Amino acid sequence: MTNAVLVIETVVLVLLTVLVAGLLRSHAEILRRLHELGAGLDPDAPIGVSDPTTARLVDLRSSGSDPFADASDLDGAGLRDDAVHVSVVGARHRTLLAFLSSGCLTCQGFWEAFADARSLDFPEATRLVVVTKDAPEESISALRKLAPPDVPVVMSSAAWTDYRVPGSPYFVLVDGQAGRVRGEGTGANWDQVNNLLRQAVDDASDDAREVRIDRELLAHGVAPGDPSLYRTAAQIAEDSRA
Amino acid sequence: MKSLAAHGLTLGLPAGWEGRIQRRGITVAAEQTNAVVHLANFALPEQRDDFGGGVTPAMRSPDVFVVLFEYGPESLGTPLFASKGVPRVTAAMFGSKRLQRPLPGQLGCQHFFTANGRPFCLYVVAGSRAHLPRIIAEVNAVLANLDVQP
Repeated sequence: MTNAVLVIETVVLVLLTVLVAGLLRSHAEILRRLHELGAGLDPDAPIGVSDPTTARLVDLRSSGSDPFADASDLDGAGLRDDAVHVSVVGARHRTLLAFLSSGCLTCQGFWEAFADARSLDFPEATRLVVVTKDAPEESISALRKLAPPDVPVVMSSAAWTDYRVPGSPYFVLVDGQAGRVRGEGTGANWDQVNNLLRQAVDDASDDAREVRIDRELLAHGVAPGDPSLYRTAAQIAEDSRA
Repeated sequence: MKSLAAHGLTLGLPAGWEGRIQRRGITVAAEQTNAVVHLANFALPEQRDDFGGGVTPAMRSPDVFVVLFEYGPESLGTPLFASKGVPRVTAAMFGSKRLQRPLPGQLGCQHFFTANGRPFCLYVVAGSRAHLPRIIAEVNAVLANLDVQP
């Protein structure tokens, strides 16, 4: 009799174990699917950018319907009991501000990518600066482990407010000489952000060339609307023959 | 001017300058580290020595790099730190032989002083003599706004 009870108890125990294991597996599968659909658990992630594989890219090249925030220098603290002021406006280079946090899942890939700054394939005359929130809102010990050796890390919640950062990761490209934001947005990984960054830099170069051409035309008395600007190739060829 | 403050030092930075006031990490239990200030009118690299190693080779002719290095209390009262108060720099204080790491075209200036009971070395590297007048004016504007708390 006792043996029969023992056998039944064992069978029930095995069945319960299988059931619990099945439930846990099913739960994990549901979480994985939700994560793929963009309903991750990352509290810092901007809306719609919660998962690295499905992140919505915001074009760094244009402002869209919302105007960019005014560019400003960074004032904050470093990770070693230091005070930091980083010049952004008026700097002779562009600055890519990477707003990251130590806890956000998507940020981990960026921290890892930035660890070897030389491998980032960065556009020329562009400086990378990581901006986190102030120490009370961050884990300074985690940040010290994550901080890349060659990239400045500034803790400044004020910068998050000034640049109207919706969550992490988020990137803002500032043209130092123009003193204005050229583009902003986010991406799932460094390759995506770097592609947009390069497009933004190329577009800025095109803008600068356009300004230079306009200036040279004006210097030679060719104002906007001048008929000479609208002559066809055939007309120009005819004039040169005559 | 932008204000920067830490470790009992407050200073103002001209537009386009950046800076860091730090204290080196303690490696030995009995060690006491003091304030080190790095200021520049260009992007400061992360890897830099106290007196500009890792910084000055990349400087261009209009650039300036300023170090304010605090020494320990054992230096107080020694002849080297006899000068009292935050100094000002002049063209006569700069020379190519006053650089920690001599580089073509660059000029250096070193001045030891004591301010509010704290001994310091002011070390300035100018990118070129051609830009020295502007550099001196900007450095003196920074020094005029430097407040050393006891």
